[in-house]
Amino acid sequence: MNLVFRLAWRNLWRHSKRTWLTTGAMIFSNVLLIFMIGLQFGMYDLMIDNTLQTLTGHVQIQAPGYKDDQKMRQSVADVAGLASSLRTELGSDRVAARGAAFALVSSEDRSYGIAVLGVEPEYEGNVSTIPGLIKEGRFVNGPDAAEIVIGAALARNLRIGLGQELTLLGSGRDGSFAAAVVTVVGIFDSGVADFDRSFAEIPLRFFQDMFYMDGAGHQVVLTATAIDDVPELQRRVAELLPAGEELVVHDWDALQPGLKQAIRADMSSAFFMYGILVILVAFSVLNTQLMSVLERTHEFGIVLALGLTPGRLGRLVLLETAIMGMLGLLIGALLGAILTAYLGVNGFAYPGMEELAAKFNLPARFFPELTLPTLLAGPLVVFGFTILSALYPALRLHRLHPVEAMRAV
Amino acid sequence: MHMFAILARLAWRNLWRNHRRTFIMLAAIVLGSWAMIFMTALMRGMVTEVIKDGISALPGHVQVHHPKYRDDPSVANLIPIPDSEMSAKFAAAGLKGWASRVRVPAVITSEYDSRGVTLLGIDPERERGLTFIDYDEIDGRFLESVDDPGIVIGRKLARTLETEIGKRIVIMSQDPDNEIADRGFRVVGLFTANVTAFEEAFVFAGKSTTQKMLRIGDRTSELFAVGDDYRNVDAVYSQVTELVDAGVEVKSWFELDAYLGTMLKVMDGFLLVWVIVIFLALSFGLVNTLVMAVFERVREIGLMLALGMKPRNILGQIIIESLMLLTIGLVIGTALAWLAVQPIKEGIDVSIVAEGMDMWGMSSVLYPELLLRDVILANVVVLVLGFFASLSPAWRAAHYEPVEAITKV
Amino acid sequence: MTAVRCVDLCKTYHQGEEKIKALDHVTIDIVEGGFVCLSAPSGGGKTTLLNTIGGLDKPDSGEVYIAGRRIDNLRKGELAELRLRNIGFVFQAFNLIPVLTARENVEFVMQVQGVAAAERGEQALEILQEVGLAGLEDRLPADMSGGQQQRVAVARAIVSHPALVLADEPTANLDSKTADGLMELFCELNERHKTTFIIATHDKRVMSYAKRLIRMLDGRIVDDIEQNAT
Ligand SMILES: Nc1ncnc2c1ncn2[C@@H]1O[C@H](COP(=O)(O)OP(=O)(O)OP(=O)(O)O)[C@@H](O)[C@H]1O
Ligand SMILES: [Mg+2]
Repeated sequence: MNLVFRLAWRNLWRHSKRTWLTTGAMIFSNVLLIFMIGLQFGMYDLMIDNTLQTLTGHVQIQAPGYKDDQKMRQSVADVAGLASSLRTELGSDRVAARGAAFALVSSEDRSYGIAVLGVEPEYEGNVSTIPGLIKEGRFVNGPDAAEIVIGAALARNLRIGLGQELTLLGSGRDGSFAAAVVTVVGIFDSGVADFDRSFAEIPLRFFQDMFYMDGAGHQVVLTATAIDDVPELQRRVAELLPAGEELVVHDWDALQPGLKQAIRADMSSAFFMYGILVILVAFSVLNTQLMSVLERTHEFGIVLALGLTPGRLGRLVLLETAIMGMLGLLIGALLGAILTAYLGVNGFAYPGMEELAAKFNLPARFFPELTLPTLLAGPLVVFGFTILSALYPALRLHRLHPVEAMRAV
Repeated sequence: MHMFAILARLAWRNLWRNHRRTFIMLAAIVLGSWAMIFMTALMRGMVTEVIKDGISALPGHVQVHHPKYRDDPSVANLIPIPDSEMSAKFAAAGLKGWASRVRVPAVITSEYDSRGVTLLGIDPERERGLTFIDYDEIDGRFLESVDDPGIVIGRKLARTLETEIGKRIVIMSQDPDNEIADRGFRVVGLFTANVTAFEEAFVFAGKSTTQKMLRIGDRTSELFAVGDDYRNVDAVYSQVTELVDAGVEVKSWFELDAYLGTMLKVMDGFLLVWVIVIFLALSFGLVNTLVMAVFERVREIGLMLALGMKPRNILGQIIIESLMLLTIGLVIGTALAWLAVQPIKEGIDVSIVAEGMDMWGMSSVLYPELLLRDVILANVVVLVLGFFASLSPAWRAAHYEPVEAITKV
Repeated sequence: MTAVRCVDLCKTYHQGEEKIKALDHVTIDIVEGGFVCLSAPSGGGKTTLLNTIGGLDKPDSGEVYIAGRRIDNLRKGELAELRLRNIGFVFQAFNLIPVLTARENVEFVMQVQGVAAAERGEQALEILQEVGLAGLEDRLPADMSGGQQQRVAVARAIVSHPALVLADEPTANLDSKTADGLMELFCELNERHKTTFIIATHDKRVMSYAKRLIRMLDGRIVDDIEQNAT
């Protein structure tokens, strides 16, 4: 081992308790940071997934203006054809066409105004979780069957069950009266009653006939394999759009502007907290290293008198700090990884979280995420601040005068 | 008492002996307690806003419904007591605020489009100031009486329906016999809401007008009452319970909205966790400082023991020193947090993440709320935990052998 | 009446393999109002004996009595109380509390005893004057010379008129004139209040003030002579 390193190592253990307390502060905040960051990003991923996977998808093709006004006539011509050509061009099944309209659904007893979505039965399941959430019956079948799937809460409120008929009333694309009778073939349950009350799905072709869409629809919904691939998907889809038709491609951020902002709002308060934690650790290190320099004034005076430069002494102090920081980083990362991995398997719950989580389509137990970035981000920042806070004590050494220093006790 | 004076004096002088160390530690405590209290104020403000907005949307602190209404909010589930009878009782009871309303799902249709909404038949005078509608911020005018023939809708809905003030729309719902009940209204006002989703969800008409349209005579869907403090609704709750007969359901706001209800509790818990985390981050430095202080004072501690001071006096001295340090830090930190809140008392604009805040149920202006209760909580927690953290170094100091300590170099 | 009685005290320190007998079957009786000098070469066991008598150190075997009360088996708290009320200490090396001024150091013991502020302030000033430190009352120990610090320690040891004063090399850092002054002060207190003094010293001049001179060597008493004070 290098002599300077050995010297630094021994100096550290002259006050082992102090060194451990300082390292302890680092370990504490590292473990906390790894856990919190893991939890946070795990939660964001869930929020994004759960919000987008139910209906929105990652990318949508729409007519200009449809996103904000959602009017019937802001439509995409030959929507099924477009979806099918995209499937071939992209070589992906995760593309589905939809139409959307407002209608009054009536059972014998009750009527509710809801959104009615026309979906491609064979592809809808690739872009939305609704077909998978069917609790009773099955999903709509066949392109133009007079069938409908509705939410559990709506079924309850309409007092209707499988096999019974519902009347749909609305207005077609041209403003004319649109009506149809459909049979309930499936009931889905997402767990959020208000969401389940708000819409129902029928086959796309049937939708187009009923609302006089003339083959048009309102959206082509696409999902990417991973959220990071969305920009690439959006770019390719934009290139593949048919020429001459005015269409726009929105990504999920444009479709659900609240989502990213909600994450950003949450992130800024989280980072404020992390920042405070890191600075407190830095103070702890500053205190320790300053003390360790001050109490060695006499000894430093002697080596300065012997001809060592303050710069080399400063480096010694920095090396001591780096060793301590490295200990904190390694032990902290290890413990943090163990804790997070454990909770990543067993989940983490906090009293009252269930109710809060439900509002954001989140489960009651959270599973923190453990990836290299979530593992190392916190500890590396702590390490950086540790070194930074040792600079002051290290630089102070330049002001040391050998003779005066030796007089100090 | 005289002993305390001696110990306090020794502790105070010792504190300033190593002023650099004390200052660094103080800076850490100041930062920590500032962050605790400032963050708490922001969070409190946020939660209060969410809850107040939530309560103004519900609305009210306590609501009365037909027992089945909440799962099936239709015209079939009206409060079984005639409105005039209830109103007479409530008017005599001297509640701070209350109102009854008709609340049913409906379809609104303009020349161009239709949407599903919640129709509220209200008594505009009774509800003034109790809901999220600010009567003075209306485009056009708000409803003027229970039999006002006009309707007030949200600005966003008006855009979707391509309608405007002065134009006619049709509201369609059901009467108790499942017959279609509809009526044409002239749009007399457009409202704006903090939470933009409300602008699409609710439309307001006069209570009597609505009752006539729905053919429900003197009946309403809900009655709500407001007390002085949303935190304490027990009084209003029992008052309301006494006024209505059995056969209805009385619920307070935190039962009506699980999200809002748990929010308050979770926030209390979260704030305590936050305070404790900050304290723990500080505690390493605190204990370290004390360990160093005790270490460099071994000889004088031995001397004091030799002169006849009791071990518990030494223990006391170290603990007093620690508490002094914490108290100074807390006082400064609390003062700074108070100062930091002053310039943003009128609200900070966080509209860059407005839609995100919307998603969390918050408005885009944040009013920090510095509660005495929270300040006390933070200070007491730090002092109490600080006391326990100081015990170990203080205990060690108190149990030195005087002879050994005094001869130690 | 005996002020201090030591019966067959033994104390052995282990330095690795080596055993050092710091006290080796020491038996002494010191009468009330005694004025005893302990003399021994360095490492002879003076400090160990004084610490044992003052209850700071426990003997391996043997008994110690102060004013007829056995103290070697007392608990820590009782010993602290005993030292506080009955014994004045002057230590060989580290004597003063660094954060307290000369006057506060002198007042310290009285303050812990609970003496009223006015009374102890007056007494502290008086005694500091007597040890020749008038004008230095408000200095911190760090700002005083070794001799001055020593005298503050002496002042503290005697200010509350304890029945027994144990002084370890009280004149070590003093010039002969100041040392004489200090010894005369001790003698006067000894006469006036019947205070018992046990003083460990190398200094021949100090020994000449003693009524009784005990010589030690390697933890044993080798000589014990009554002498007439000059
Ligand atoms: N804590 C200890 N550990 C080991 N040996 C000790 C310890 N304290 C004292 N001794 C030994 O006991 C013997 C007596 O020591 P003591 O301090 O009583 O001598 P002294 O007569 O006061 O000497 P001096 O005149 O130098 O102060 C010495 O040999 C010393 O080395
Ligand atoms: Mg000695």
